[in-house]
Amino acid sequence: MSDFTDLEFGIDTFGDLPRDDQGTVVSYAAAIRATVAEAVLADDLGIEAVAIGEHHRPEFAISSPETVLAGIATATERIRLGSGVTVLSSDDPVRVFQRFATLDALSNGRAEIILGRGSFTESFPLFGYDLSDYELLFDEKIDLFHALLDEKPVTWEGTTRAALREADVFPKTDSGRLRTWVGVGGSPQSVIRTAHYGFRLMLAIIGGAPARFAPYVDLYRRATEQLGTTAYPVGMHSPGFIAETDEEAMEAFYPGYKVIRDRIGALRGWPPLRRSEFEADVESGSLYVGSPETVARKMATAIRTLDVGRFDLIYTAGGAMAASARLRAVELYGTKVIPMVRELLAEAPAQSAVTGEAFRR
Amino acid sequence: MIMAIRIGDIEFGLNSFGDVATDGGRAMTDAESLRLLVDEAQLAESVGLDVFSIGEHYREGMVDAATPVILAAAAQATSTIRLGTSVTVLSTQDPVRLYQQFATVDALSDGRTHLVLGRASAIESFALFGYDIAEYEQIFEEKLDLFLRLMREDRVTWSGQYRTPLENVRLHPRMPDGGIPAWIGIGGSPDSVVRAARNGLPLMMAIIGGRPERFAGHAELYLRALSQFGQPELPIGQHSLGFIGDTDEDAKNTHWKHWQPVVTAMSEERGFYAPTHERYETEVATGALYVGSPETVAQKIARIVRANHLSRFDLKYDVLHLPREAREHSIRLFGERVAPRVRELLEDDPGEWHLTGRTPAEIVKGGKAAHA
Repeated sequence: MSDFTDLEFGIDTFGDLPRDDQGTVVSYAAAIRATVAEAVLADDLGIEAVAIGEHHRPEFAISSPETVLAGIATATERIRLGSGVTVLSSDDPVRVFQRFATLDALSNGRAEIILGRGSFTESFPLFGYDLSDYELLFDEKIDLFHALLDEKPVTWEGTTRAALREADVFPKTDSGRLRTWVGVGGSPQSVIRTAHYGFRLMLAIIGGAPARFAPYVDLYRRATEQLGTTAYPVGMHSPGFIAETDEEAMEAFYPGYKVIRDRIGALRGWPPLRRSEFEADVESGSLYVGSPETVARKMATAIRTLDVGRFDLIYTAGGAMAASARLRAVELYGTKVIPMVRELLAEAPAQSAVTGEAFRR
Repeated sequence: MIMAIRIGDIEFGLNSFGDVATDGGRAMTDAESLRLLVDEAQLAESVGLDVFSIGEHYREGMVDAATPVILAAAAQATSTIRLGTSVTVLSTQDPVRLYQQFATVDALSDGRTHLVLGRASAIESFALFGYDIAEYEQIFEEKLDLFLRLMREDRVTWSGQYRTPLENVRLHPRMPDGGIPAWIGIGGSPDSVVRAARNGLPLMMAIIGGRPERFAGHAELYLRALSQFGQPELPIGQHSLGFIGDTDEDAKNTHWKHWQPVVTAMSEERGFYAPTHERYETEVATGALYVGSPETVAQKIARIVRANHLSRFDLKYDVLHLPREAREHSIRLFGERVAPRVRELLEDDPGEWHLTGRTPAEIVKGGKAAHA
């Protein structure tokens, strides 16, 4: 059981398009610049990490996260720069390594990559991959990426890209190894694979009670122990939004969240979101929406329950929200929520639902 | 927004291939060399240069594999200088990813980004990314077609041989309507010159050896071809290697010391004669190496601007293991001394810089773009 002193916090975005002061949805370019401004504020406030997702849908301005992160690298001092997630299945591990090693250099070693299969499927047809190869693509590509991380010449052969023979890939990092996570949405097999490669585990918890992910944390720890790899602190990322009051936060967040949720739901056969469902998820599920105190209490409970070492708040899941409200949410997160969570956890640290043994930090 | 490149003006750019520098005699790490590039982009802006460009290479000693990522960092560190590539190896890139990455850099730089597209003279990327060098020509042609359509059209339906088809696809983030300025980089092939003209793209001539005036024929071919294809007047640029020091001797001594081993290694790999000091001197005197004092280099650039009808001159300033202080000094002299002196020389004697009857052209961003 951890005492939470090393707990880290992050903000996470997919590059949703906010509204300007006149209520107009901004351009893609302006949305990218808004993301940079929010990350700069997060850095100023001492928030430990920013993660940026890769999407190929019209709702999201960011399809090339590391390019945005490189811009943020120049404008910030301390904050870690991560993807959330890099859709490795439809990318080339060699290119991914080159881009992140470059980002790592430009940020003085602050890059981290979160690999995933992605919960969206648009990238597969766009880049010429067959969804029926979903498993194979990720299996092969994570294997190659793992090999590249040693930063030595790689010989590799598979079915999803050209073979490599003693290929030395540049640039090299100063630390010798990129910090690598795998984003997992709920597959035990993915958890075991993460442990197998010695990667860090980031749980994507976007609905339902966080406690149901406790078995995955436990599984990760047991698997690393059996496989002789390192059990790093587990991370979680969940959507939320912070305003002065619960009501203000809910009203700012709900309309845009419903639009996106229903649009994606329509593709996946979900019924339209009802307000009562939304409220239930805010009350006891995985939406961290409310005043600083409400969100802090909820986060402290989840962190304690899952015994995680990192919490990333997806702060832009409210879709086309006011850019000023988004910036304010980051400010409240950094100045109020995070200190409050740390205090709450210092008061009563030990109530985890995870049964595994203590692990190395 | 209009980003005008007037043919009546001359612009100066710096090009880097991400060559690893030295610091106090020690080779800098890849990571340090990357951070140095961002510092040099800032320096280039502060000494009044117009463009800073980065190449794309996949070998030891060169750190420019992920060009858009480096340009994004430079975008955030600068505010007026334009940022580009020198060149983007389109043949082994996916035009879709390229569009997405450069739309992102353009957003971060608030419209200061452009590309020079080429087939590249180094071939490492073909094996690394699984392309057959024998199809060099077809691959470039097909990818250029797709990339231009992605920039010029809103929704694209496309099929070809070297990537998966696209069905009514609209990419994000969006570039400005019409795309961003894209030049074609050529190394000496007349076919490539005609291709640039046919597609209505500005021409960047990479002249890395021999008498640079021999490219005047290419420049004239380009101008004739533009007019035959009914394209507007578009700029011609030249990319060459060089180094500027306080005196000719200083510049040559420092440059030769670092240039000689690089070109010797290259000559073994590519099968040409190893450089001798005598040939180096000839290359500096009458060839394509722009090495010397500010006055020498300015005179040499002014001559080639007139001969090759240039409106842009890019100096590739880095060489493997060139000390960082020497790079910095050369950049300063290029911006503060060479560029103003060339402008002065051209004003005094434009020669045939402007071809008879040519009118200034603009590359227009937004609306109906001439370049894209």
